[in-house]
Amino acid sequence: MSSATVHSGGVVIVGASHGGVQAAAALRQAGWLDAITLISDEDALPYHRPPLSKAFLTATGDDNLMPIKPWAFYETGGISLQLGKRVTSIDAARKTVTFGDETLSYDKLVLATGAAARKLPLPDFTNLHYLRDLSDARRLRPALHAAAKLVVIGGGFIGLEVAATAAKLGKSVTVLEAQSRLLARALPPAVSDFVTQMHRNAKSRVLFNAVVKTVEGTGQTACAVVLEDGRTFPAGLVVIGVGSLPNTELAASAGLTLAEGGILVDGHMRSSNPDIYAIGDCAACHNPFSDQVARLESVQNAVDQAKAAARHITGSDEPFSAVPWFWSDQFDSKIQMAGLPFDGATEILRGDPATGAFSVLHLEDGVLRAAYSINRAADHMAARKLITSGQLLDTGCAGNPDQPLKDCLASAPAGPVGNAST
Amino acid sequence: MSETIKIQFRSADDTTHDVEATIGKSVMEAAVMANVPGIEAECGGCCSCATCHVFSLTQWGEPDEDEDAMLDETASPRRDQSRLSCQIIVRAEMDGAVFVLPEQQ
Repeated sequence: MSSATVHSGGVVIVGASHGGVQAAAALRQAGWLDAITLISDEDALPYHRPPLSKAFLTATGDDNLMPIKPWAFYETGGISLQLGKRVTSIDAARKTVTFGDETLSYDKLVLATGAAARKLPLPDFTNLHYLRDLSDARRLRPALHAAAKLVVIGGGFIGLEVAATAAKLGKSVTVLEAQSRLLARALPPAVSDFVTQMHRNAKSRVLFNAVVKTVEGTGQTACAVVLEDGRTFPAGLVVIGVGSLPNTELAASAGLTLAEGGILVDGHMRSSNPDIYAIGDCAACHNPFSDQVARLESVQNAVDQAKAAARHITGSDEPFSAVPWFWSDQFDSKIQMAGLPFDGATEILRGDPATGAFSVLHLEDGVLRAAYSINRAADHMAARKLITSGQLLDTGCAGNPDQPLKDCLASAPAGPVGNAST
Repeated sequence: MSETIKIQFRSADDTTHDVEATIGKSVMEAAVMANVPGIEAECGGCCSCATCHVFSLTQWGEPDEDEDAMLDETASPRRDQSRLSCQIIVRAEMDGAVFVLPEQQ
């Protein structure tokens, strides 16, 4: 069969997770009337990913999967949702994408291709798991319920969330972290220590400087994880969470410029080709809050970048400028982060970690740049506003957990005075 | 089949949406599954984003500490009736309940 190019025109979005779906929704909200085609290589109606390492794994029976939008959203919105289709190539000169034996033309292309789990060079053991998408979670769930001993390689967010879920299910859990503390790149030491203690309180083992050498097994079954220093940890189930790699093959084949491992985009999420945008985990964007080109992996980043791309496609010049924020639920604690880590921060501890509720604030020249909150949602929400506004903080007030953070503004020595009292 | 009741969402422009809500699930999920415009629910219901803000005409319990903090930062200003709909779990006695949507999420 010969394949003809279908002239959809309009916007074609590759990838239908948080970023891709939000791009379609934001385009319609902004009044885009032309065609929108949303292509997913998964079969499921696009779904919320964060629960895959938490509530989804705990559940039995009912899938407990939450769609980002219902079918009616795509039908009534005139969004052509193409499920189970993998885009194999982009012809940037002719402005077409090819998936299966179909070729579709576009006016604007949005790449929301996400990232894949970084794989370790290990044999294909059947009880060795990564967790990124629904098919991974569906494979992991029964294995987790059946397992007695779980070894998690990598003390990052996904690994720790799986570890917490497994501990709550009564499993024996060992977390092997190669660095000297958990989440060293994302969290300050006080928060890392709290997270470590939470896992240890649940009887999980957490080991640092634990560099994995190999996983030993018999036939198709992994039996033990072996460290470089020779220590060996028997395992019925191994979950690996050692970061991710952005899906940039399509972008590279289309000749787009890459940076920081992702697709380089400007403040409007436009790649080096003005008709191709990239959003979410796969995009490397200059972040005004860190003044760095960075690739961020979070729902918030994908959603806000999708909105920025949709704005630009529909003719607005308002650039992307959202404060990055992220959350992780482990055991009964909510860890919320706003802003990005940076070097040379002045640190303020707000509250006593021993109480189970505290925040670590990172300031630069008296201005809040990042905040890490454990069970202090009000601090997190206030921090998002304070990082955006860049107002000077009263550090004494900010260090007092009984004072609402949002009220901890310094009485500015210079600048507009307004109705300031003495 | 899970038991369902009827609840109503009323948009800022007075458009009404009568939707089925499953007992035990959240009011936010009922809105999302019925494609009610004006409920974003970006975080999927874990009380992290404050984009499922509603004004509840009947008081169905008090917001907890987290929800209370999030409500201080909603896009449309908070009122006495403000709740995050992901934190309201549907119960049988809510049949006919009305939730008014704010202008912005």
